Amino acid sequence: MSGSLAAVFWALVTLGIYAASRAAYRKYKRWWLSPLLTTWGLCAALLIALHTNYHEYLRGTHWLVSLLGPATIAFAIPIYEQRATIARNWPILLAGVVAGSAIAIGVSWWLAGLFQLTPEVRASLLPRSITTPFAIAMSETVGGVPALTASFTAVTGLFGAAVGESLLLLLPLRSAFARGASFGMGAHGAGVAKARELGDEEGAVAGLVMVFAGLLNVLGASLLHAF
Amino acid sequence: MKPNILAAAKSLGRLIRGNRWIQLAALIVLSAGANALTRVLGLPVPGSIVGLFLLLGLLLSGAVPVAWFSQGARGLLDHLMLFFVPAMLGLVDHPELVGPLGFKLLLAVFVGTPAVMVGTALVVEAGFRLKSRDVR
Repeated sequence: MSGSLAAVFWALVTLGIYAASRAAYRKYKRWWLSPLLTTWGLCAALLIALHTNYHEYLRGTHWLVSLLGPATIAFAIPIYEQRATIARNWPILLAGVVAGSAIAIGVSWWLAGLFQLTPEVRASLLPRSITTPFAIAMSETVGGVPALTASFTAVTGLFGAAVGESLLLLLPLRSAFARGASFGMGAHGAGVAKARELGDEEGAVAGLVMVFAGLLNVLGASLLHAF
Repeated sequence: MKPNILAAAKSLGRLIRGNRWIQLAALIVLSAGANALTRVLGLPVPGSIVGLFLLLGLLLSGAVPVAWFSQGARGLLDHLMLFFVPAMLGLVDHPELVGPLGFKLLLAVFVGTPAVMVGTALVVEAGFRLKSRDVR
């Protein structure tokens, strides 16, 4: 295949698999049909089967990745719409985000040392608890590999959303706030979807905590890096 | 003349409110602008974060109505995973992850994620109880 034809081919394949995955998930609602998992798996299988190298694939799909910038900016809308909740509860939200981020980074750092991972892989592991567009930005700042970070982040979200509900049942929680914050901090996008199933308040808090965690971590990492 | 301009502005506003594609284009332009601004000023934060605060500032100051962006923003956030799946596929260039390294990384996620979720839940719950005690 010529270069530009291959680029168009991979763009169409990615969009097609994504659309089919979404439709399948809407119909059957199984966690292993999560469009993230199936789109990723099917595209990877096809890349390997056709012996395509990643650079060739990215030539056709880098325009999708470049929409991560506008998508990050779009997070301003939920912040604006929830400004009354933020004004009332910002100390609690901030405490949860700071504690959660410290645990996320601390445990990743500690285990990376224990497992003797390379500095590059360790840096890729650090941002895994924040939502992917922020995690990719942070990964670049701290010297990680964005592809690795994006994958660790996806596994984190899927795992956290899957085990979160039974995990939180073990804790003496009275507030919807704590459950929502836990999902937003621990499992970002997939966690927010799960929290919405638990209740409106849980979902709203989870979404806010997810955005705050992303902002705090990226700003923290950038400023530490700059000074 | 004046009423004409006013009417034109109003119908432009209506057009933007009702069309998610125009809103998407506005967010893309804002993103490109924020990236350029970040580069020119040499800011230490990513351009997308600068853009987020720019938009938030515009909304909070009342300079632009939220209805000019909400449909476009919802569309982007709804399809967020489509934009990072190509980034995740970079994994095919890392065959070393199949094996002990991949196992260690999975273990790190399986240990770290519950720790984060439990820790966050307990801190927020403690804050919540402190606050409701103050109110009483």
